[in-house]
Amino acid sequence: MAKYGITNGSTSGGGTQQPTTAAYTGAILGLSSSTTTARRFKIYDVLIGTNGTPADNFIEWDISRITASSTTTVLAATALDSADATALTVATVNSSTFGTITSGSNVFYIGVNQRASYRWVAAPGGELVAPATSSNGFQLRARSAAYTGTCTGTLNFEEQ
Amino acid sequence: MFRPGGYLYSFDPGGIRQESDTFSCAHCNRIVIVRPKCDPADLGGMCRLCVKMICPACVDIGFCDPFEKKLEREEKSYHRRKILGL
Repeated sequence: MAKYGITNGSTSGGGTQQPTTAAYTGAILGLSSSTTTARRFKIYDVLIGTNGTPADNFIEWDISRITASSTTTVLAATALDSADATALTVATVNSSTFGTITSGSNVFYIGVNQRASYRWVAAPGGELVAPATSSNGFQLRARSAAYTGTCTGTLNFEEQ
Repeated sequence: MFRPGGYLYSFDPGGIRQESDTFSCAHCNRIVIVRPKCDPADLGGMCRLCVKMICPACVDIGFCDPFEKKLEREEKSYHRRKILGL
């Protein structure tokens, strides 16, 4: 099973990082199954943080399921083993919209100090799994009542 | 926690690192953070049919619907729609 990584960093063609707002308006990273060759994928590593001016604010982070991805910048996820084929999973980054969120489907939610960074790693069998269904996947979002800067995220996933 | 489903690291200001075990709900795949010394009732519970840990929301639902079965249903429905060209 091939493993891939995707970030919303300043990769060429990765779009512009979106400001954080009080409501979920944009999405930092999104992963969804291809519309032509759908394949199950599993997120096993999530890293989140901020790259704005440091201050003591809280940020709420959320990963929810989506049934349609946002329509903005699509990036090819990087294979962690360069011998692996290109990922079939569609990765969207720095999006001002977040596609179609499935109501009540947030699988990860945490409030974090703006100065802190977080990492979640799944043990084998504890990954976030998306079905092999066209456009289904996950969206990483952030919101904050006070912080208006940009956020950073990295998702590592494997395809089955 | 015995055999956790994941691990959470927080790198706080001041260089303090906090760590927590997590598990993924066997019914909805939600990540549940296991706070140190928390009340086990706050974490959800153990489904006695699939013998796996589940989140508080799925405990309230009260029946066993494993996440793997949900994925299979979703995929079957998708393949039916695809065959029918919908």
